[in-house]
Amino acid sequence: MCGTCGCSDTANAVKITDLSTGATQTMRKGSILNTLEADYDHHSHEHHAHDHHDHDEEHHQHDGDGQPHMHGPTGEIISLETAILQKNDQIAERNRGWFEGRGVLALNLVSSPGAGKTTLLEATIKALKNDVGISVIEGDQMTTNDAERIRDAGAKAIQINTGAGCHLEADMISDAVKTLDPDTGSILFIENVGNLVCPAMFDLGEHMKVAIISTTEGEDKPLKYPHMFQASELVIVNKMDLAPHVDFDEKVCLENIKSVNPNADILLLSAKSNDGMAQWLNYLKNQLNG
Amino acid sequence: MHELGLTKNIIAIVTEHAKGCKVKRVSLSVGPQACVETRALEFCFDIVAAGTVAENATLEILPASGDTFLIKEFETEEAA
Repeated sequence: MCGTCGCSDTANAVKITDLSTGATQTMRKGSILNTLEADYDHHSHEHHAHDHHDHDEEHHQHDGDGQPHMHGPTGEIISLETAILQKNDQIAERNRGWFEGRGVLALNLVSSPGAGKTTLLEATIKALKNDVGISVIEGDQMTTNDAERIRDAGAKAIQINTGAGCHLEADMISDAVKTLDPDTGSILFIENVGNLVCPAMFDLGEHMKVAIISTTEGEDKPLKYPHMFQASELVIVNKMDLAPHVDFDEKVCLENIKSVNPNADILLLSAKSNDGMAQWLNYLKNQLNG
Repeated sequence: MHELGLTKNIIAIVTEHAKGCKVKRVSLSVGPQACVETRALEFCFDIVAAGTVAENATLEILPASGDTFLIKEFETEEAA
């Protein structure tokens, strides 16, 4: 289903649609990761030192040979310390610098399909559009339905159709923001493809990930998909208006979130009834000013 | 979840750095939060390595912290 898995259909290209002009451009075929072999830049490659890891073997270098290595019993041991997702991570860091330089608060919204990401964004745009500039990158496999909803709510929107892909990658964001051109002091919401698995792995350069779950999904989503909840700084529990009708146990849900990510901020709200929305809007304003 | 594509990346990076030398071992550092299923990596490795400089190489997976996901080093059969 996704390019990174190596099982993508190359006919399913990534498409970016600008809702203000209706112009659609095809970005690339297949995944960034599968293109790595072809366009790997031999000259600009730097050995990547990862924060989590120290290496203390003795390395030496021969003239004209940039690689630290040492001689083993028969051959050579070549130390790489190369992050396997380095290409995505490099573009993500460039995006992060661009957002910081411009003073744009970029938030990566992740959830399962149907948790209410787009409805939450519509309500957020309607509440904030006179105070704060808002632009949205919508990620879905197909259709421009969500970007149309965002545009109708009053914000600039770009739709990325990932085709076979199951998540957004950093280069898609890099391309989309060039067209979207978010203003200084504005918020950029990146609505990831509805999926609680793969988006956890791909840094887009966002300030933080926000995970959204809804009361209709059951209290145990954080336990079933812990990586996503560990990667998110804020967890929003949406559709609280439905909680009494679906036997939602708020206490158990909060315990489950805290058990996988004790540091997560948690907000309970209903984007439909507006309950709890004020706290979310305040949270956004604090992030923007912080 | 993306282990086949990740394995292709690993082989592509190693192939570039091996400069034609035959590779007999590839060592990865993988942390518990890397979202990587190491058994699936091992399963994919032999298949992806076939026909490359890393054919028949062994894959060593070293425990690491956090979300570390690196090619730590690889070993060639003879000096370059």
